[in-house]
Amino acid sequence: MKINKILIANRGEIAVRIMKTARLMKIRTVAIKTVLEPNAMYLSFADEVFDNTEDVSEIPVFLDIEKLISIAVNTGSNAVHPGYGFLAESAYFAQKCLDNKIIYIGPSPDAIYKMGNKMIARRLALKNGIPMAMGSEGNISNEEEAVKIAERIGYPVIIKAASGGGGRGMRIVRKSEEMERMFITASKEAEKAFNDPSVFIEKYIENPKHIEFQILGDTKGNIIHLGERECSIQRKHQKLLEEAPSCALDINLRKKMGSMAVQIARAVNYYSAGTVEFLLDSDRNFYFMEMNTRIQVEHPVTELITGIDLIEQQIRVANKEPLQIKQEDVKLKGWAIECRINAEDVQAGFAPNPGKIEKLSMPTDSYIRVDTGIQEGSSIVSSYDSMIAKLIVQGKDRKDAINHCKMALDKVWIKGTKTTLPFFRLLVRNQKFLDGTFTTAFIEKDLDRFYYNSEYEEMLAAWLATKLFVDENLQESSIGSGSDNDNDMSPWLLNKRINQF
Amino acid sequence: MNDKPRIDKLYTLSSENRKFSFSLPLRNKIRIGKRVYEVQLKSDEKYGTYILWKNRKYPVEIIRSRQNKYEILFNDISYIFTVETPFSLQRMKVLNSTRVKAEKEIVRAPMPGKIIDVLIREGSTVLRGEPLVILEAMKMQNEIQSPVNGTVTKVNTKANTNVMKEDVLVEIKVE
Amino acid sequence: MDLSGKSYKAFLERQEALRKQYSVKQAEKQHSKGKLTARERISLLFDEGTFEEIDAFVTPANQPVEFGKVERTYGDGVIVGHGKVNGRLVFAFAQDFTVMGGSLGYVHAKKIVKIQEMALKMGTPIIGMMDSGGARIQEGVASLSGYASIFNNIIHSSGIIPQLCVIMGPAAGGAVYSPALTDFVFMVNHTSYMFVTGPNVVKEVLNEDVTFDELGGAEVHGSKSGVAHMIYDDEENTILALKKFLAYLPSNNVENPPVVADENSTPDINEKLRDIVPDDPNKAYDVKEIIQLIVDRNSFFETAEMFAPNLVTGFARLKGKTIGVVANQPKVLAGVLDINSSTKGARFIRFCDAFNIPILTLEDVPGFLPGKDQEHAGIIRHGAKLLFAYSEATVPRITVILRKAYGGAFIVMNSKSLGGDFSFAWPTAEIAVMGPDGAVAILYRKELLESKNPAEMKKELVKKYRDKIANPFIADELGYIDEVIDPAVTRQKIISAFSALSNKWVKVPSRKHGNMPL
Repeated sequence: MKINKILIANRGEIAVRIMKTARLMKIRTVAIKTVLEPNAMYLSFADEVFDNTEDVSEIPVFLDIEKLISIAVNTGSNAVHPGYGFLAESAYFAQKCLDNKIIYIGPSPDAIYKMGNKMIARRLALKNGIPMAMGSEGNISNEEEAVKIAERIGYPVIIKAASGGGGRGMRIVRKSEEMERMFITASKEAEKAFNDPSVFIEKYIENPKHIEFQILGDTKGNIIHLGERECSIQRKHQKLLEEAPSCALDINLRKKMGSMAVQIARAVNYYSAGTVEFLLDSDRNFYFMEMNTRIQVEHPVTELITGIDLIEQQIRVANKEPLQIKQEDVKLKGWAIECRINAEDVQAGFAPNPGKIEKLSMPTDSYIRVDTGIQEGSSIVSSYDSMIAKLIVQGKDRKDAINHCKMALDKVWIKGTKTTLPFFRLLVRNQKFLDGTFTTAFIEKDLDRFYYNSEYEEMLAAWLATKLFVDENLQESSIGSGSDNDNDMSPWLLNKRINQF
Repeated sequence: MNDKPRIDKLYTLSSENRKFSFSLPLRNKIRIGKRVYEVQLKSDEKYGTYILWKNRKYPVEIIRSRQNKYEILFNDISYIFTVETPFSLQRMKVLNSTRVKAEKEIVRAPMPGKIIDVLIREGSTVLRGEPLVILEAMKMQNEIQSPVNGTVTKVNTKANTNVMKEDVLVEIKVE
Repeated sequence: MDLSGKSYKAFLERQEALRKQYSVKQAEKQHSKGKLTARERISLLFDEGTFEEIDAFVTPANQPVEFGKVERTYGDGVIVGHGKVNGRLVFAFAQDFTVMGGSLGYVHAKKIVKIQEMALKMGTPIIGMMDSGGARIQEGVASLSGYASIFNNIIHSSGIIPQLCVIMGPAAGGAVYSPALTDFVFMVNHTSYMFVTGPNVVKEVLNEDVTFDELGGAEVHGSKSGVAHMIYDDEENTILALKKFLAYLPSNNVENPPVVADENSTPDINEKLRDIVPDDPNKAYDVKEIIQLIVDRNSFFETAEMFAPNLVTGFARLKGKTIGVVANQPKVLAGVLDINSSTKGARFIRFCDAFNIPILTLEDVPGFLPGKDQEHAGIIRHGAKLLFAYSEATVPRITVILRKAYGGAFIVMNSKSLGGDFSFAWPTAEIAVMGPDGAVAILYRKELLESKNPAEMKKELVKKYRDKIANPFIADELGYIDEVIDPAVTRQKIISAFSALSNKWVKVPSRKHGNMPL
């Protein structure tokens, strides 16, 4: 069976992204219209739109497996692409698709399950000789065990949720006195977020860099890596800016880490696109963290330096085609940087700033790529996410890319919400960022403020405030009295009013 | 007999106490060193409202204006300004030197209800008007706002707690 | 006449003496406290060169008893006169704290009375700038009677000419009734205060320590007592705001307010209005956002902002014409009506009615604030004031129901049956005897008790209630609402409705006056 119609089980920019490639491959796409965003941009890119606005259930459709399967069947889609987030790492969803004879554009349910469970992933890494941070053998059942294991590993340690990431169920513990309390908090948080209170413990690596490798595999057992991405610019485990490649890696380290990434992928017979995450410490030791069994938000930077369309590759693999690219064919050319422009207030600690995008104008220079699902008039719906657009720039080397980034940031025009643009403007002028010596602790520790404004901006804003004050208060106007205005008051009325007293 | 305290200059103060002075009548020109540049406030269909300065457009939005206080969003950064006349500036100095300013501000529940959400934590800096907690009462979600600029020193409540009228919710150190 | 002649020389000498009295040194006394002098305040208020002073040279009365010294000064501590404010004739007085502490003596009072009487004859607004130590002790009962005459005149002019008061210094003891009786009180933060009994006496009688600011500062009167309506941080802003405020009001109760040129800057149709009221009825929003989108740009001037913030009152303009706005504020106390908001609204409405200002009411009220505090303090009486004020008003009255309109509160907020001229409702409106939760609990009490899943059942019943009973279309079909409108066209609808009502005239019943609950 070959894919002829894909149901996109997602929305926003990734839905648009998938549809663009599908169109090039002459594959039809189906998008789902929801009541929260009936006029979203992604709907206009699809060949067919399934109207789900009548659905008043509490569960959003993108998390409703039954509903999604029925929509796929209903619309005659023989493939589903989950995008990222939502159900993209649900082994159950992947399996249900297969059970219903729908091609799942992603890895096998088995691979998703194994890599989704941090304990299983760790065991596999251990078995395959992949370097890892020392940690607990399995999930920790209670506070006493937690304390014991932590003593063995040596503080500082980090408690992590077995079934999920993104910072939830995660706690760094530096002293044994805190362990009991942190364990309980982390467990509770994990249960709330992932319905599974299981946590495990690892040695906490101080101020590492977050380096991840893009993996691509086919159903015939061929697995290659497409180089790394530098994702250390994060805030509370949310990535803000990503680069490809990373200036922390040289050819040898890249080869070493790349082959480890391929090895762990092979351990679960991985196919389709995936990402293996590592932590790199200051001594250039790397440790396997986890594998993400889906396409990632920051995939464009890899695409720009390798010239490979990852979504296209995913679809081909799902069609059981063998990979046409060999590891030695993969060449990393130039440098790419992605800035995630979100509707957040950087002056209020990146607090979400939802609203309607009144004006949106993105630069179109040749070194710029914009991936977005937002157009003028779109509202940022806080129940989904706060992303406005991904601004991706290219350069012949890192310095060139940063320079292009600087120029591009000043050409972006967004009105309607506050955005993270001032943060990126600061970043591209920050010495540590320019030197490439930043780690994941960069935002918390090395920045004293999160925004940049050029020399005269505050003064111009002050001028505007002054102008408003003058216009409102200091204009001497002649208003005149009520009676010598042609006020449409008839003498009759005047007469009546006077006579009533 | 007319002795007007002639207002010939205005001082615009930023929230970080930077002072900008502008002579009146206010012109569309600003002097930097020896040169004078033109500044204009414009608005059109494509860009919305913007300031034109040295051939570059800057997006601008007037978020809030109250009496002589203005919150301006300029190129994605918000600034809060107070526009003062020379006399009111002098007055501010006189008052600041003689008045005893409150050190601590205690925010209490204005009515009984349930705290649904706590939006700040110990150490958060807050601005006057910024929401601190959401209190559900009368079947409605009410924002309890900070009455002052300052730093939160104590959070006396948490989500899903019932509170009585006048219960202390948050303590703020006035900046 | 020979300029060097004797009579002319005397004239010039007197001018010089007056100038000397208001020397820079005198001004310093005020400036060092962060206050302006009375003359400076007058200059700021009136258009340049238009102020004509009256009785500049009067001297204090001879005291009945020699008790303490009274300086021989000109003016007796107050400057009175007339001039133009933004081109309009206005009378004003400004108490001069640098002359005998601005204390009120017999002559001081007579000067004020003089311009009060003139203002009444000319049908022009009168503005009082208070900055006074109080009654002049040395003059005894003469100063007390001076106050009484002033109060009397305020009362006789009340509702005939707008009377505004600005507190720019102390106003204590009997003096406070002057502002209390006027239409609107402006107050300057930190350098002015009002109280009936000062901290010294409080300490003596109650042994309680309290500062001037705590007892009767601007914040107190702006947010707790409701005596002051507009508070500003400095004097210049206060006076500039006063001038702006005056432009909304007519000169007297026979004329219409001035019409300002409207630059057509507010679109008549605005889709943003559809997005403001959230779908979730338990979520609050800021009604002032709606007001800003309906009225002429930047024309909303809020009064008593910090007092009873659950009800928003203020003036605004529609196509240049003044209207009064009364709106429930869901962001505060869920927008319920309570004692303070009822009295705030009632006074505002009666002012508008007295001065031919049409009233726009924006309604989203779930009811009255429950509780022993309110009941014992008389919410019944006070709520009735609001009802009385609305019904009594003969100016054009339009209501737009934005969301909730339940029970007694619905009736009180200018319903058609109370004589409201036009009532519009947004599709989000819920008009009913009581809110869905309460109603369902009562109507289906038995069924809910017997149900296996009461929570689920209640949810369904609430939905049914909203659809079948509480929706505005029923009220529309029964004629209690004139039209359910698209929020985007609210401004357009209101303008055309007010325009239809511009010649409204209703005969007032012939009686001395009603017996409004007080």
